[in-house]
Amino acid sequence: MNQDFFTSLRKGEFRIPICVSCGAIAWPPSANCPKCLSPTQLKKSASTGTLLEFSRSHVTGKDGVFGLVKMGDIRVIGSFDSGSLAEGMKVKMTQCGLLDDGTAYYRFVPTST
Amino acid sequence: MHRVAIVSQSGSKYSKDSGKGIFDLACEPCARILNSENLDKANLGAVLFSSCTTEQYSSTILSELLGIRPQISHRIDNLCNSGTNAVVSGYSLIASGLCDTVLVVGAEKARSEGNKLGWDITRGSFMLPVHWAALFAKAHMRKYGTSEEEMAMVSVKNRGNASSNPDALFRNPVTLDEVMASRKIADPLKLLDCSAACDGASAVLLASEEKAKELTDEPVWIQGIGQYTSSASFANATADLCSIEAAKVAAQAAYKMSKTEPSQIDVAEVHDAFTILEILAYEDLGFTKKGTGGKFVKQDNIAINARGGIIGRGHPVGATGVAQVVEIADQLAGSAGDAQVKGCKKGLVHNLAAAGSSATVIVMGSE
Ligand SMILES: [Zn+2]
Repeated sequence: MNQDFFTSLRKGEFRIPICVSCGAIAWPPSANCPKCLSPTQLKKSASTGTLLEFSRSHVTGKDGVFGLVKMGDIRVIGSFDSGSLAEGMKVKMTQCGLLDDGTAYYRFVPTST
Repeated sequence: MHRVAIVSQSGSKYSKDSGKGIFDLACEPCARILNSENLDKANLGAVLFSSCTTEQYSSTILSELLGIRPQISHRIDNLCNSGTNAVVSGYSLIASGLCDTVLVVGAEKARSEGNKLGWDITRGSFMLPVHWAALFAKAHMRKYGTSEEEMAMVSVKNRGNASSNPDALFRNPVTLDEVMASRKIADPLKLLDCSAACDGASAVLLASEEKAKELTDEPVWIQGIGQYTSSASFANATADLCSIEAAKVAAQAAYKMSKTEPSQIDVAEVHDAFTILEILAYEDLGFTKKGTGGKFVKQDNIAINARGGIIGRGHPVGATGVAQVVEIADQLAGSAGDAQVKGCKKGLVHNLAAAGSSATVIVMGSE
């Protein structure tokens, strides 16, 4: 797994590895491009996306509303404050980081438009 | 390529906590297989161990404990798909002519750290299997109108089947109302929509055609294999949350290799770690049209998960795929006891790992 991605995520920045040679995205993050295996470099990515599907978890310690978001060419499971959501809705990443146990989190809200 | 037969098969009684170590568990189903009088146990061609245990050198340790000095021995771990992966590897060793007998053993402890996938950062902080399963369920409900009751019926069926299986983790059947009223885990999935990790083991002995004739009068043949890996992450596993791409590709390959149509399958073990996955399997395997899986649970022309599936029989991760092959081999050999489906000729095993990012389909037959 790509150490630079984690370092960046720990600082609350969502930057994803892009291939220096062919421009392909490495997601899940990797130091090497999955298409041509050249090195990758972190780039700031779009923070908006589309909510594909969502649900509510009742698992103790992992509870809350979560959904699969498509941001550009990548997909990620993010968390939402409870509220009215709908599939196809435009959403925006407001926060991300690493919890103490090393678990990643990505928080989203619906965009107002 | 040499033909490959399953000449004997055995499972263990599953439990929440057996109090046994991984190797004691693994030896259990082997006794019945290895104590066959025509078998030169010490000189088996290969011992393949399917497990996500954190113990190192595990297949080699198991070989020694079983009194076998195999030519080839290694461990295969691929989460829930491990056991079917191991059977495919065993098949290859015989089909290539490298070995004439292969013992495939699967075993797992419920609480093994090796059962967890920590790598998939695309799941954020919702990394439990029930989380992606809930998203599959929501998508199927939204697109095809599949109901929570239809999913619950999968649990009712499989728990009902497990109630007559003395080796199953869950021996008590459940009603539709009980499934619907069970505790919510991740909407729309409830506790009784989910399987449970447990301790357990299973084993099969594979043999070349020549060896099979010496060892049994009831060989079961591996007729077709399909396997596909689309990713390791949930994010890239399947474009459409209403089907599992790896399973569809694997099924097509297995049907092609075995020259089988889905309508010829009499018995099947499908991966039902969550009820929605069995519904997706009906569709991905071509048993019913896309979107109609929810209705298919009430069909009666294919016996599916006749001994309880993963929901009823239990889910010892690395043993599961081997156990599925054991069930179908028992059916085709006519040794499935109370669950025996009369006159069955063709069976199928469908197994998945990690959000359906990899899948195996095996077609087996009595001829
Ligand atoms: Zn590249």
